[in-house]
Amino acid sequence: MDFNLTDEQELLIDSIKEFCERNFDEQKIREMYANHGMSDELIQAYLEAGFGLMGIPEEQGGIPCDLVTLGILTEEFAHYSGCITPFLNNTLAMRDLIDFGTPEQIEMGMAAYMETGKPIMSLGFSEPASGSDNMNMSCVTKKQADGTYILNGQKTWVTQGEVFPYVLVIAKDEDNARENREMSMWLVPKEIDGLSTAPLQKIGQQIMPFCEMYFDDVVLTEDMRVGKQGEGFKNLMKNFETERCLIVAQSIGCAQAAMDDAAAYVNERITFGKPIASYQLIQLKLAEMEIALQNSRNMLYKTLWKMDNGQSVRIDSALLKRYACMECTKVASEAMQIYGGLGFTTETRVGRMWSDLRGFQIAGGTDEIMVYIAGRQLAKQYARK
Amino acid sequence: MMNIVVAIKVVPDDQDIQISAAGELDMSKAHQTISAYDLNAIEAAAQLAQAVGDSKVIALAVGGSAIDESKLKKNILARGAEELVMIADDACADLDAHATATVLAAELAKIGDVDLVVCGDGSADNYAQQVDVQLACKMGVASVNGVVEMSAAGSTLTAKRKLEDVIETVEAQLPCVVAVTPDIALPRIPGMRDILAAGKKPMNVGAADAAAETCLETIEIKAPEATERKQEVSNASDDGAIDAFVAALKAAL
Ligand SMILES: Cc1cc2nc3c(=O)[nH]c(=O)nc-3n(C[C@H](O)[C@H](O)[C@H](O)COP(=O)(O)OP(=O)(O)OC[C@H]3O[C@@H](n4cnc5c(N)ncnc54)[C@H](O)[C@@H]3O)c2cc1C
Repeated sequence: MDFNLTDEQELLIDSIKEFCERNFDEQKIREMYANHGMSDELIQAYLEAGFGLMGIPEEQGGIPCDLVTLGILTEEFAHYSGCITPFLNNTLAMRDLIDFGTPEQIEMGMAAYMETGKPIMSLGFSEPASGSDNMNMSCVTKKQADGTYILNGQKTWVTQGEVFPYVLVIAKDEDNARENREMSMWLVPKEIDGLSTAPLQKIGQQIMPFCEMYFDDVVLTEDMRVGKQGEGFKNLMKNFETERCLIVAQSIGCAQAAMDDAAAYVNERITFGKPIASYQLIQLKLAEMEIALQNSRNMLYKTLWKMDNGQSVRIDSALLKRYACMECTKVASEAMQIYGGLGFTTETRVGRMWSDLRGFQIAGGTDEIMVYIAGRQLAKQYARK
Repeated sequence: MMNIVVAIKVVPDDQDIQISAAGELDMSKAHQTISAYDLNAIEAAAQLAQAVGDSKVIALAVGGSAIDESKLKKNILARGAEELVMIADDACADLDAHATATVLAAELAKIGDVDLVVCGDGSADNYAQQVDVQLACKMGVASVNGVVEMSAAGSTLTAKRKLEDVIETVEAQLPCVVAVTPDIALPRIPGMRDILAAGKKPMNVGAADAAAETCLETIEIKAPEATERKQEVSNASDDGAIDAFVAALKAAL
């Protein structure tokens, strides 16, 4: 087994570190969280450094790379920036568009991305009564005599829904009955008649606000369809495994930053005449935090490596997301504990990391749904033949 | 069209240097890295090459065999140089400025047709600021240091030098040797394309023709001794505390 990084991967990490040192500090990060966004220049700089092109196919002007390298980029960017940025979501949205879009849609999306570094669309999948339970979706399109379609329904928790010019909506074809498995994806302009939005307030990851979206007799045309009719759900599932792994990469980077702070602080904070590093209860925390980070990282890169080698990660990616997202929140929570009262203030960044990380136990599939996915498969895998 | 050579020193990364209680420097765990000020030199050379057009930047590094390290070479080439010439030879480890300039001059003669040599302000380890001037002397060309801005037209280099209290603009006949200050250009952060391209660029690694003679003998290198903190605290709200604080600062200087 070779755990060495390539020269190129190591240089990539050096560049990420330099990029973050130049562009992120606590004051700037606080402004980004307060303003619910970052500057256009920073988004463009990320693209120009080539980070935003990684994982995009060469035909589209991207820099193809394996998933292990994409994982390294994602982890180290979260680590050195010390916050949750929209960049991973942006890359994932572009990959979805490229995988499912028509040549015209891809061309339009890539042209905008190359110019601004922003994807053209947010992803509108979840609904108030249909998060984990996708089949319960209410959004539905009905074909009209003139060949257009009428979309009705509601989406919610749409990350950057009020920011990007389009939203990729998944809706049932013709009938929103639970049994109907036929769904399609549509690239819907945000400014289209009948579409309205309402902001939602998040308790973490505020650089990327999310919103509700209401579709009231929105008229769709065939050219807005993304992917084949009826295959929306299948497509949706296709990219979930990659998304889950990369969410974990981002979580590990963020949790590592919390570890960096807390594990340095134990040497500096004196109580009862000694640095708190000398107390076994603090040492236990550090040991468990490090175990959590190392385990998560090992699971992550093994899973990515399996994907790069064409192996199934249906079970691995679900186990990984459940384990790592919970553990990473715990690492940040223990980092706060190590800081004591200071950890519960905005003077340190560990509290922000904790609330950011907490969101990943829900986004992209909850801790519980990961058990649901992996558990059934595990029972099958271990069943006596 | 210009051929620009940027001279780069490879030094142990100062973040990895450990200092013993006796003040000895332990570099055994230190990675080899590009001397910090030379990053600005590479960037300045790359920007000049771009401004002049149709030009080429060659990076030239001289050091012990340890500098022949694959990541380091790619790092140099990811930052704006098209080609690397490296003398990685234990006979060239820890050379003084005189010997470094001798080896550089010999290599430059081999490269031939060099219009400009760009050096950093000083090396990150010794910071003697000697190699550029001694190299110019050996080559018999002009030396311009403290350069904060430069441009080239025809066979003339125009450079702004930052001196104690003035900015001086000078012209020098090409070829010449310049040493640039860190202000001249912010080093680029190698992007993923630069990193991937670096491994495909020409790298010419070889040995020195002859052992260069050093004229300095290093007796010892020690970390500065840490001074005890005085621990005098003045409370700003006390009468006269500010004056006392200022007086204490002046007394300490
Ligand atoms: C930060 C963040 C960003 C998001 N961004 C987007 C976005 O851009 N686009 C988008 O479409 N959505 C987005 N979401 C929504 C997200 O996908 C859903 O919140 C998630 O899928 C869970 O659905 P839900 O909220 O309806 O919870 P529910 O499905 O109602 O679940 C409620 C609770 O019940 C548990 N539960 C549900 N079913 C089962 C079961 N069968 N067995 C055991 N337990 C179960 C869940 O684990 C959870 O604890 C985002 C969410 C977050 C937190």
